[in-house]
Amino acid sequence: MIRRVTLPTLIICLLLAAVSLAVERFPPPDFEGGHELPLTTVPAPRADLYEYLDAAVLLAALSLGAWLVLKKRSRRGIFLLMLFSLAYFGLWRKGCVCSIGAIQNVALSLFDSHYVPPLTVIAFFLLPLFFTVFFGRIFCAGVCPLGTIQDLFLLRPLKVPLWLEQALGLLGYLYLGTAVLFAATGSAFIICQYDPFVAFFRLSGSLNMLILGICFLVICMFIGRAYCRFLCPYGVLLRFFSRVSKYHASITPDECIQCRLCEEACPFNAIEKPAQPPASQNRRQGKRLLIFLLVLLPVLTLSSGWLTSKASPAFARMHADVRLADRIWQEENGQAEGTTDASDAFRATGQPAAELYQTAQILQQTFYRGSWALGIFLGLVIGLKLIQLAVRRHKTEYQANRMTCVSCGRCFAYCPRERVRRKELETKHTEHGS
Amino acid sequence: MDPKPNHTAHPPSPTATERYRTAVRAAWIAAVFCAAVLVFLLANQWNSRDLLDNPELLALKKTLQQNRGNEGLKEQIRTLDQQIRAEMLHRREFSQTGAWILLAGFVVFLWSTKTAFTYREPLPMPQPGKNSYPQFLRTARLARWSVAALLGAALLATGGLLSRYPSNFSYAPVQVSAAEQAEPTAPPAVQPTVQPAVFSMEEFQKNWPCFRGPQGLGISAYANVPTQWNGTTGEGIRWKTEVPLPGNSSAIVWGSRVFVTGATKEKRAVFGFDADTGKILWQFDVVNIPGSPAEMPNIMEDTGYAAPTPVTNGLGVFAIFPNGDVLGCDFEGRQFWARNLGLPDSMYGYASSLAIHKNQLIIQYDQGSVDDGLSELIALDTQNGKDLWRTKRPVSASWTSPVIVEIDGAWQILTVAPPWVIAYHAENGQEIWRAECASGDVAPSPIYANGLVFAIEPYSNLYALRTGGQGDITKTHIAWQAEDGIPDICSPVSNGEFVYLMDTSGLFTCYRTADGTKAWEKELDVYFHSSPSLVQDKLYLLSDEGEMIIAETGKEFKEIARSLLGEKTKCSPAFLDGRIYIRGEKNLYCIGSPKNP
Repeated sequence: MIRRVTLPTLIICLLLAAVSLAVERFPPPDFEGGHELPLTTVPAPRADLYEYLDAAVLLAALSLGAWLVLKKRSRRGIFLLMLFSLAYFGLWRKGCVCSIGAIQNVALSLFDSHYVPPLTVIAFFLLPLFFTVFFGRIFCAGVCPLGTIQDLFLLRPLKVPLWLEQALGLLGYLYLGTAVLFAATGSAFIICQYDPFVAFFRLSGSLNMLILGICFLVICMFIGRAYCRFLCPYGVLLRFFSRVSKYHASITPDECIQCRLCEEACPFNAIEKPAQPPASQNRRQGKRLLIFLLVLLPVLTLSSGWLTSKASPAFARMHADVRLADRIWQEENGQAEGTTDASDAFRATGQPAAELYQTAQILQQTFYRGSWALGIFLGLVIGLKLIQLAVRRHKTEYQANRMTCVSCGRCFAYCPRERVRRKELETKHTEHGS
Repeated sequence: MDPKPNHTAHPPSPTATERYRTAVRAAWIAAVFCAAVLVFLLANQWNSRDLLDNPELLALKKTLQQNRGNEGLKEQIRTLDQQIRAEMLHRREFSQTGAWILLAGFVVFLWSTKTAFTYREPLPMPQPGKNSYPQFLRTARLARWSVAALLGAALLATGGLLSRYPSNFSYAPVQVSAAEQAEPTAPPAVQPTVQPAVFSMEEFQKNWPCFRGPQGLGISAYANVPTQWNGTTGEGIRWKTEVPLPGNSSAIVWGSRVFVTGATKEKRAVFGFDADTGKILWQFDVVNIPGSPAEMPNIMEDTGYAAPTPVTNGLGVFAIFPNGDVLGCDFEGRQFWARNLGLPDSMYGYASSLAIHKNQLIIQYDQGSVDDGLSELIALDTQNGKDLWRTKRPVSASWTSPVIVEIDGAWQILTVAPPWVIAYHAENGQEIWRAECASGDVAPSPIYANGLVFAIEPYSNLYALRTGGQGDITKTHIAWQAEDGIPDICSPVSNGEFVYLMDTSGLFTCYRTADGTKAWEKELDVYFHSSPSLVQDKLYLLSDEGEMIIAETGKEFKEIARSLLGEKTKCSPAFLDGRIYIRGEKNLYCIGSPKNP
């Protein structure tokens, strides 16, 4: 019964709350009444002190997270840290600055010498990566407000088939690549524009943003941390660094006794089961496949680069100058009817159209090169993913996948050895557990 | 947070069962609570839906449009508007508070549901282990296919982008092929059949070439104009023809042709009528004008989409529309030229009529605010529509029309727009003088009589300005000013001795031009949008209901006759030899005897 009412109630509540909280405006009075509109006031910029405070809080939260995951092994502690992070980085700091969006600032600063990102932004970009190299995805575990809000909404986790998870995981690379391309060319910060949860943090936003966020939250009730697993561009970087992390959360505090109680503990498909080495015949087949994929890799990479470069005209139109140049050209050559606000404003500046065309052509060349780079990156990612799928590593115990495990600590309590460590069970129970 | 799994016993402990039941009860209570809040919120949303479209408020606003000077009505509207806004704010506050309560209920519901699910979760019961290698192979194979499917989707997306944006623009000028050139995008242009000749002032006086006749002063050169007719019975009506498209522009006449414009949001056209029979000889559809906005802007209903009156110089007819389309065509409806001046920023819709001087088509293109700096006085070549000169005007949008009169032997263009009355040289557009005598939304056009320029500041002042000055003459050349019976829309008319003002509500006021003293005023108790006209010693006053009140000029108001058109109108009549042409809401009328030549 409870299942039948759960989903409709949740969706209706969220939608109605979204409509009620969405920005609503009055039409102005349509005749003059002598009322003087108040002067527009500009709020004072935020004090620098708060920026340093943000970085300090991030550092403290990451340190505490690492201690809770690796030393204390406390899901309760991680949960409390999550609530704090949601309150501080999400609700109080309104989701900005965030490590995910900082990718774009860093990308822009690398390609635009006129842009210098604030130190806080650099700190937000680097600190989680630094911690990941040593301690795994501590940032995802309890510091990221986007991960937290998804985690809190996880109601009835459904297992995504492993094969589908492999493909969906590639979407994050696509998002990362395009976000870097648009940021590096100064076109748009798409990660911020399409942040699905920022409207909740700010308790305000357009109806479209709220609906996007609600859709994600409804999905996240059943697919644990869907955004983190399949879309988060920063998660892509964290996965890479986590793979080589020196210390990482483990299911068991000491030795795995193969009791298999933790098999279904992870809602994020991050527990790897023991794997036996294949038989020699299968090994030969696997080698042939691997050689084929290794040969395919450069072909796939180059063809992906070429193909993506063909889409560069579409990418280039993300830049406002290119769009304006196209519009002006169309208007001046009778291929567009009327004018737009942007074209009128441009003409009012008195700037010659030729200068705008030249700027647009330079941008188009930049996008062409950028699209090649994006295509090569994506081709490489797909090729390496195919190679990874052809390789089977020998494993002897249940362990957390270092790339996909977000160190949430859910699995700790499933391990009898952990219960012994906590003195909740006696040693003799676990010795017969297997 | 997730409770830890219970490893100690297979059946749920009594504590766990009790907790599960508590969680379910809490979930139900939260669900019912959410549903109740939901009902209140929905009811609030439903009741708020049309609050700002209050029928009573709309009706009052409509009444105000017909009676703009009614302060009591304005106060009533303000009070009601404030009440509605207060209620709207209250409902919005209710809605926001309700949303927070709903979210709180939702959090409780989520928490209790999650807890209930956790307590119902079965204990981990691993099945006997299997050889995992076949499973690995199967997963890997499916994963490869899913990656391939993703690749296919990416290819399709790229194909879609390629089809939409096939290549980068080269920004080279378009080379039009001969075949393409053969397909005109606009009606074929013709050269004017009569070359540069300019008709004399006498010819202009014989005709009715622009808004309010020769020079735009509302004065007829003829005396033999009908005084009696009845449009409902047909008495005294020479012909009556339906105009295919609506408009508030007035009819203009040259020789045997009558011209009017008409437009809707979708269509615009110029019509040529036979002046003797009323037959529509041609219709020039205004289409395919380069640079014309794809869509006509929304324009106030009272203004309409064809408010500016066209103009003729006897060689061609020229028209302008509120989207900036301006064109010239010959008397057979063949296009000379057409262009777009850019969409004017005009609050009620562009309504200034055109004027003409020699080969110059004069356009008072007032728009936006003073700070916008968009307003211009433009002279186009009547032959080809190209700019002859443009003069920037330091004024905001206006709905007046320029008047071209001869002052001290030189032709001057008189204009009114907030905050200036400005005179320009008609030959080159150079400013001669200006006076700060205008404010608000100005619609009445200026006139020139008895050596004075008369300008209206709506609802406030009538200014009589002496000419002959240079630069800012505000402090030096205001001969007199008056404050009673000042019009808001209708332009004044003068016979030299008196200047006559008509306000929308029908208050007709007469001032002596010599010293600005009020001679008399008369409450006619009918509404007017049409400007008063002068036919020799008679004043022709056409009401919104189509009733023409004819009165004597003189030291007191004396009505001579009243005649009915038979339909409503806001247009100013055209007076010709023995005829009057009036555009009604639907029909164009020619008033005059059928025997009259």
